[in-house]
Amino acid sequence: MKKAAADLARRRVCLGAAAACAAALGSGVAPRARAGLVAADHGRVDPPVPVPDLPVRRAGDGAPAGLAALLRGRATALHLMFTGCSSVCPIEGAIFERVQALLPDQQARGIQLMSLSIDPLGDTPRAMRAWLERFNARQGWIAVAPQRKDLDRLLDLFGAGRNAVDSHATQVNIIDRRGELVFRTPQLPSADAIANILRRV
Amino acid sequence: MIGMWMLSTAGQAQPAAPAASPQEQYARGRALFSGTADLHGRIYTHVTDMPPRVVRCSNCHAVADGPDVPRSLAPRLTHDLLVRPQARRGGPPSNYDLARFCSLLRRGVDPAFVLISVEMPRYRIDDASCQALWRYLTGAGHEESGR
Repeated sequence: MKKAAADLARRRVCLGAAAACAAALGSGVAPRARAGLVAADHGRVDPPVPVPDLPVRRAGDGAPAGLAALLRGRATALHLMFTGCSSVCPIEGAIFERVQALLPDQQARGIQLMSLSIDPLGDTPRAMRAWLERFNARQGWIAVAPQRKDLDRLLDLFGAGRNAVDSHATQVNIIDRRGELVFRTPQLPSADAIANILRRV
Repeated sequence: MIGMWMLSTAGQAQPAAPAASPQEQYARGRALFSGTADLHGRIYTHVTDMPPRVVRCSNCHAVADGPDVPRSLAPRLTHDLLVRPQARRGGPPSNYDLARFCSLLRRGVDPAFVLISVEMPRYRIDDASCQALWRYLTGAGHEESGR
């Protein structure tokens, strides 16, 4: 029981840090990592920014992997989420579900969808697997959780902006086959828009 | 109440349906809010509706106040928030009524004529359902049965 309470406290601290980071971005206080990344909150990222090779755990078996290795060789649409999120994350999940429906040849095209958790303490591999199943995720849609120490760095890269009701952005980040961030959509883009971009990456 | 009914049906060409009692409206509104009855809506930049389970009101909003009411991620929908005139986002005092509430749900425009955020879905909701939701939200915690 004490361990569960301690875990919950750590999780709150972790999510609080994420919220503070997102709030700082939203208020125009640009962290150094973001300087020069994009002029606006969405659009083409020029020059492209390499995604750092940080360790992550995968949904399901919890196998450790390197983020860069998971991205290399595929065109990837990445969003931020956490499984305990009841507000915008279900909408994000439904959007990715529709992207998969729009891209029946996703595998052949070398396209993948990635849900990146911002709650590395709460989002166990099993919880992430269950979250994917809620949205009928097929092969080519994976969920991963970073280590807590890397969360702020990833939010700097992927979490620019903050939605109105939760602690992370709802933009979709497009990463090319070299593992470089090349485009960031507006908040909650349509599945059609995401699919169109992925077909051209 | 008669004025509300006239407001909600003005300009509508729908067949007359038996009027629901206040209690029935309240129960229907609660079901729509919690998701036990489906609401149909979409993100306004999209061309298709979202599954009802991801656009139910209770995913983001809590109703009324009190120790047993869960935290609210989006604005807590209390009677006062809706019907008492107050400055919203720096604008002049404004309040919701049934027509303004339905306009917000359908078009995303609040009583101060401000477009609300993209995360709030826009709903395809008929007058009867909108009135039921309004009755529930303005009655919850204020009067038990919506009388």
